[in-house]
Amino acid sequence: MSTQHLRPAGDREAAELIRDAAQSGTSFEIISSGTKRNLGRPVAANGLLDMSALAGIIDYKPEELVLSARAGTRLSEIEAVLAEHHQIVGFEPREWAPMLGAPAGMQTIAGVVAADVCGPRRVKSGSVRDHVIGCRFINGHGEIIKAGGTVIKNVTGFDIPKLMCGAFGTLGVLTEVTLRVLPRAQRSATLVLYNRAPEAGLGALIVAAQTPADATALAYLPCLAIGLMDSSARDLRGAALIRIDGTPAALDEKIRLLRARFPEAETALLNHEETETVFRNIGDGSVFGHEGDIWRLCVPPSRAAQTIAEAEAQLWYADWAGGLLWLQLPASPEVAQRLRGITAKFGGHATLFRASPEARQAIDVFEPEAPVRSNLTKAVKQAFDPERVFNRGRMFEYL
Amino acid sequence: MIELPAPDRQIIARRAEIAAGLSAIVPDGVVSDQATLRAYDRDALTAYGQLPLVCVLPESAEQVSAVLSFASREGLRVVPRGAGTSLSGGALPLADGILLGLSRMNRVLEVDYDNRCAVVQPGVTNANVTRAVQSKGFYYAPDPSSQIACTIGGNVAENSGGIHCLKYGLTTHNLLGVEMALITGERLRIGGKFPGGGGLDLLGIICGSEGLLGIVTEATLRILPRPPVTRTILIGFRSAADAGRTVAEIIGQGIIPSALEFMDRRCIDAVEAFCAPGYPAAAEAVLIAELDGMPAEVADQLAAVSSIADGCGATDIHDCSGEPERSRVWSGRKSAFGAMGRLKPDMLCMDGTIPRAALPQMLDRISQLSEQYGLICCNVFHAGDGNLHPLIVFDCMQEGELERAEAFGADILKLCVDMGGVLTGEHGVGVEKKALMPAMFTDADLAQQQRVKCAFDNKSQLNPGKVFPVLHACVELGRMHVHQGRLPFANLPRM
Repeated sequence: MSTQHLRPAGDREAAELIRDAAQSGTSFEIISSGTKRNLGRPVAANGLLDMSALAGIIDYKPEELVLSARAGTRLSEIEAVLAEHHQIVGFEPREWAPMLGAPAGMQTIAGVVAADVCGPRRVKSGSVRDHVIGCRFINGHGEIIKAGGTVIKNVTGFDIPKLMCGAFGTLGVLTEVTLRVLPRAQRSATLVLYNRAPEAGLGALIVAAQTPADATALAYLPCLAIGLMDSSARDLRGAALIRIDGTPAALDEKIRLLRARFPEAETALLNHEETETVFRNIGDGSVFGHEGDIWRLCVPPSRAAQTIAEAEAQLWYADWAGGLLWLQLPASPEVAQRLRGITAKFGGHATLFRASPEARQAIDVFEPEAPVRSNLTKAVKQAFDPERVFNRGRMFEYL
Repeated sequence: MIELPAPDRQIIARRAEIAAGLSAIVPDGVVSDQATLRAYDRDALTAYGQLPLVCVLPESAEQVSAVLSFASREGLRVVPRGAGTSLSGGALPLADGILLGLSRMNRVLEVDYDNRCAVVQPGVTNANVTRAVQSKGFYYAPDPSSQIACTIGGNVAENSGGIHCLKYGLTTHNLLGVEMALITGERLRIGGKFPGGGGLDLLGIICGSEGLLGIVTEATLRILPRPPVTRTILIGFRSAADAGRTVAEIIGQGIIPSALEFMDRRCIDAVEAFCAPGYPAAAEAVLIAELDGMPAEVADQLAAVSSIADGCGATDIHDCSGEPERSRVWSGRKSAFGAMGRLKPDMLCMDGTIPRAALPQMLDRISQLSEQYGLICCNVFHAGDGNLHPLIVFDCMQEGELERAEAFGADILKLCVDMGGVLTGEHGVGVEKKALMPAMFTDADLAQQQRVKCAFDNKSQLNPGKVFPVLHACVELGRMHVHQGRLPFANLPRM
């Protein structure tokens, strides 16, 4: 298969390439920095469509909490500009590139949106789709389409920007993204509840989520994960981490409230800088190093402890109050069956996050869809990209 | 005037047979006599009415699914309806269509505090979700002003907002999952009590699709612990521009109030005459700011907001956190729509969104238009999120006033788009704004949205005649090629 590498200079040129491809039956793998090519099923394509030339922030109005950027703009550039105005990308995008064997610091906003890269803050602020308020993209007919808007509150027409989030480029090629952004909290801190076995630790996260402390992250690290993150740590069982934000006075009162909720707990407090480090590690999956297959399981938080008991993973940890479980487990049909047995029982989905291309070809990377759902998925693909120009097979064989 | 798809006479002639078919599915829930059908002939866009062919009121997801497969088999159109509170005509019936009312499916099925969610049927009212969880200190955040009547099914269809959107989001941000029925009668679950993802975000496209894609038969909603403290301040200004600068400063300093409501001079006068909420007498504009959270946090923010307002030239800054003052201040805001009735018998409530910074300029343009059309317009503004509600008052008994009011409203919405905003922030497009869609979208953009409709409902049986200015057949959309955003032969009438 040829590996033609096309790098259009602008959206019109890209649209033309796509129009030609649709007519000639050619297919493209869409990339910018290419840091997530190992995520999802391997794509069978005739060429690479490289969108990295479409870069740069188009508009940023701090007082409107809105930023628009071209698709190939690096996330690091966006975050630096926001930081000047004490603002952040609200879904706390993390850096998965090292986990996936790619260099850090290069991911683009389109890649973040397409792969739904959201971090620990999701438990409070929602995922990528909750922050993308508008976009432009090129559909499989080679038409440049505008969807959504550049204001926060908008119900005009179908919410197509949401469909683009987490679609791994299977529906359209993003050319512009408009985000709603959030103010950055003055300070963060983390209350750590030590010496908790998984059931007690995950249970504490659920209790914390029900308090008005308004936690901005809720994670649980079993002892093995703690040891890998901090070799000096001597926690025998595991730790529940509750991150809170606010002014110094607000942090004090939230900590008091949480301590009162867990009167028997052995606790410690992480300061702002320590909090940043530990949650960067949690969001980036840094405990996994470069070896071993990784799964991500989403389940109802109340089922997290039981899921862990049944999943049989040695190295694992929980984010999003237990709603997200990162597991180091082989990419084998047996493991896939075991994990999908769990999601079938409790509701949820399992994603094979890191594995060899052969394994990602042989095993369903994303949760297999039931027939009614898969028919809808196919129909939606047909609505955007009927000739299947984009990222053929990236999510499902038929998408 | 609003155009709807031409009714099919042959289907109207089959009314009795269709009613009988539906009665076999929902034995005690079919309305077909003209007198009772009258109750369903319009929603809250009261200027437009149409008797439906027949109305069916199912009690279960199975019945919904059976009604849809019946409609699918018989080639019938279906218009879904919750409580009929849509302000954009989303539930306006069709003369040859089944009106599918979901108000009898009104049970809260489960409250799950550990997973912070409630599972409800579509006919549960918005306020009843909070009522079901408040004893444990929880609430459901989206709060459209019709919340005591409007249903969750309608909220999902319209992606309803409310006054707390900036901090807590719209329905789409608080919706974890649905069970729905497609026009074929097939049922599926999307999302649930777990974090979403793992496939295309179909939940995201269904929320806000105005009943064009499927019928929600169950919804899983995020519930939140109620913040321990809520404080309210009332701020008066000499000009709308001062109020606008205050809003920009508040947001710019990183404060996200739970509500930030703006009213202009005309609106203040109208509500003072109506219920005397005690707004500053000489103010050209007022802001009501509400902050919620933990006590120290809220105190910090309250102090910051007061000092910002002071710095922007506020004439009055009044902490009205205590009762009964807080209720009185809010009663003014909440009765703004009702207060319009003292000015004229009829009102059009517009619903555009603009970038916040454009507010003063927008208000100037509206007052010019007001003179030009000879109609009064009062402005209520969700200043936090830029959602503007110009209230145009008129008297439909006066020859031509309805048409003038509609033209005035359309001009306002086009201005919203020109200023970088959108046609509707929370009321939906429905029938009311469909003709204006080309002001915001090209033919190619609209054709793309209609192809999504076709993916779910390829014969356009669900709520046709809403949202899109022109109804294209799905086969036609499949072949249609749009050049630079314009259809070939754009002026040709299409089916």
